[in-house]
Amino acid sequence: MKKILVIEDNPMVIKSLEFKLTKDGHEVLIAKDGRVAMKFLKEANFDLILTDLMLPFVTGKELISYIKKNSPQTPIIVLSTSTQENIIMDAFNMGVDDFITKPFSPNELSLRVKRFLNKA
Amino acid sequence: MVESHIIEQENFAYIALQEGWQLVICNSGIDAIHWFNKNNNKADLLVIEEGSVPLNGYQTADYIKTELGLMLPVLITVGTVPTQQELRAIAYAEGVIKKPFIKSTTILQINEILERFPERASVQNFSYSLNYLRDIFDGHEESVLESLELFSKSVNTELDQLNVELQDKDYNRIREIAHSIKPSFEMLENETGRSICNRLNSEGVETEMPRLIQDLQLEFASITKQLTRDFPELKIGR
Repeated sequence: MKKILVIEDNPMVIKSLEFKLTKDGHEVLIAKDGRVAMKFLKEANFDLILTDLMLPFVTGKELISYIKKNSPQTPIIVLSTSTQENIIMDAFNMGVDDFITKPFSPNELSLRVKRFLNKA
Repeated sequence: MVESHIIEQENFAYIALQEGWQLVICNSGIDAIHWFNKNNNKADLLVIEEGSVPLNGYQTADYIKTELGLMLPVLITVGTVPTQQELRAIAYAEGVIKKPFIKSTTILQINEILERFPERASVQNFSYSLNYLRDIFDGHEESVLESLELFSKSVNTELDQLNVELQDKDYNRIREIAHSIKPSFEMLENETGRSICNRLNSEGVETEMPRLIQDLQLEFASITKQLTRDFPELKIGR
């Protein structure tokens, strides 16, 4: 079972991601803000990380920077909104692997997650 | 509306917001046809781009009128307005709107069309749709209903916070909150809420924030009122 960390603060998005990823057979941990995410990242290794960029306490950019420094092999998918083009470009420049626009299509999410987990 | 260009989509959404038009955005003509099927054909107007794929705007208009049998007015959006395409528009659609959307002409053209087709203009429930939630939760109705309660509770809390931040004039925090709750409106396919959040989050200037926040609160109240009517057993607004 692959372990996925979801870093997201919208409760409806969290619920839908948790439902879909668990249904697809993955173990899912949820961090509702950047501080909780940092705690999880220090305590465990993950096969994939899905993260929002605009988070309370610790920003998505800070998290990406931490992950790239401490666990560079872990793929990162950014959960973005359609109006964040500049922020998404910055994230790609920092080395994120992909992005999914919220609210996501269920099949698109499954396929993209599967693609990265198969590489791991 | 079917529009693939994100900036034009936002332009139109902002005009619709100001005019009080309830907007549903589809990715393609086929998506629009599916939307009509799922929502009992309840719409007053279809605005579709000429070059939509796989069905272009004219083909979609033709399908809607001949196959679905709808007397729905259709406006085709184009980059330029050559004479030959106007002839096609006469055959398949009621008119052509040139892009980029200009507020005054867009409002004028759409109001003219709506006046020509008054029999379709009626009060309809576009406050929310459960189509996306049912899709993402694979038809698991309990999760769909739990999400509605989550919507009511979480957005209500954030709207209260928006008022606090407005009083404190913390406009960055207002933008962050709008960014955070935008997907909640999107998941209920509420275009008005999405569009206001978008405006607050990306382009909105500080002077228009009080009005936008008030509009968002009214839209939220309208959604929760409808949800309470439709699902009296749920903890909506309580």
